[in-house]
Amino acid sequence: MKKIFTPFEIVSKNTRWFIILFWILLIVGFWVVSSMIGDTHLFPTPQQVLTGFTELYNEGLVVHTASSLFLCLKAILIAIIISLIFAYLSTIPLIKPIANTLSKLRYLPLTGITFYLAIMISDARVMQVWVLVVFMSTYLTTSLLSMVSAIPQEEFDHARSLQCNRWEVLWEVVIKGRIDHVIEVIRQNLAIVWMMLVTVESILVAAGGLGFLIKNSDKFMNHGRIIALQIVILFVGLSIDFILSYLRKAFFRYSKI
Amino acid sequence: MSYNTENTLLYVENLSVAYGDKVVLKDVNFVEKDVIREDKVTGQVIAFVGRSGRGKSTLFRALTGLVKPTSGKILIADVASKTENDAKQVLEGDVGFVDQKYTLFRNKTVVQALEFALRNKNLSKEEKSTKIKNYLAEWGLEKVKNQYPSELSGGQRQRTAIIEQIFCSGHYVVLDEPFSGLDVGNIQDVKNAFNLMSASHEFNTIIYSTHDIELAAELADSIYVIGYPTIDGKRADFGTIVKHIDMKERGLAWKDFGLDHIEIVKEIKAAMLSS
Repeated sequence: MKKIFTPFEIVSKNTRWFIILFWILLIVGFWVVSSMIGDTHLFPTPQQVLTGFTELYNEGLVVHTASSLFLCLKAILIAIIISLIFAYLSTIPLIKPIANTLSKLRYLPLTGITFYLAIMISDARVMQVWVLVVFMSTYLTTSLLSMVSAIPQEEFDHARSLQCNRWEVLWEVVIKGRIDHVIEVIRQNLAIVWMMLVTVESILVAAGGLGFLIKNSDKFMNHGRIIALQIVILFVGLSIDFILSYLRKAFFRYSKI
Repeated sequence: MSYNTENTLLYVENLSVAYGDKVVLKDVNFVEKDVIREDKVTGQVIAFVGRSGRGKSTLFRALTGLVKPTSGKILIADVASKTENDAKQVLEGDVGFVDQKYTLFRNKTVVQALEFALRNKNLSKEEKSTKIKNYLAEWGLEKVKNQYPSELSGGQRQRTAIIEQIFCSGHYVVLDEPFSGLDVGNIQDVKNAFNLMSASHEFNTIIYSTHDIELAAELADSIYVIGYPTIDGKRADFGTIVKHIDMKERGLAWKDFGLDHIEIVKEIKAAMLSS
């Protein structure tokens, strides 16, 4: 028992499960109790959340989730292509300043980006995609640039000693040799992207999506629905994270990141 | 032991390397020739020793064409030329390079790495496959041929890295501190790898650096000490060759480590300490 309170102590698998179960029960217990005591409640009761789930399901939760996922996939594909081009070409002295500048643009506020995109794009759905693309590209480029600069000099020397010309070095060491890292970069940036996606969907209301549902629930102060939606968003996000991590390990046996 | 020397295999003249204003190496000169022994194929094993920061790694990067000399020239035997004893300026890829970490392509298995190393060779697919098979068997890598570098032991990685360089560059391999951090078994593996390489072709030339002077004296037939030279009573701050010991001339090459080798070790240590 003392072990679980001692820093750096290694505990058995069963103890680990016991600790996790303990915290889950504590949180659920706190939720149940805090939603029942007093006049004003910060959280809705589990019953309200369950009702929220049922309502949302009947209103097409699955379709809205799929819509958000599709938007996320579309934006991430475009953003990763743009970021990869800049990150890979950053090895060329002429292109390096452009890639670095793109990375620095992450300090630009979203509102400013939205303003300029609104001038150019009229369709709300297209607008959502491009707001996300611009926003994500800056973060992805930053991570990808640090991935490229973290490649040890020995790996470049090794390729050069095997008679690779500079383009082959780029192909073998940076592009082919780091595909698993690219997946990891996407996975790590996904949390920001997923969070932004819901925000973008709720700001620029279009055909639907989880952000649209939150906005609607928020309007009517429906706490049960809001928490139910938060749980759905969290689990969808965690599932994508898990899938990407699984894909990396399954397809790239050598990947030990 | 009787021996002769024939073709010049490595010719370094007035080599200097500077990074910006900082001169790291200056006036490096040495020549290594093909050593011929009766009834035995003998490659060349050349050791470079010296204290840290004296320019050994820079010299190796220059010898492998990875860094351009500021002045001077490095010539190696042009084995592709029809003219006998023809030489050529060293270029990237002409001399194999195995670094201290035995770097390999992280996304290629042993077989894939060796196939890649042979990609530019004028051999048929079957010939390449046979060559790879033979080397895998001879160097004890058969069982791990489909494994990635992250799944190999240090010794297996190193052997793969050496074969890769032999396949690609031909006769020259430079190894930067191949014995660093190895246990007794791994050291024996490297020694065996040296013997295998040395015994497989007359022109095969192994150039390595080490901080283990005993291993330099035991394995090399030519030892160079890199250090800061003393000029007009002052110690310069660039590296150069301060001592050369030809173990062949002294009758100590290709012999088991003995008392005479200990004397050489003392001599080398003295040269290192004064430079």
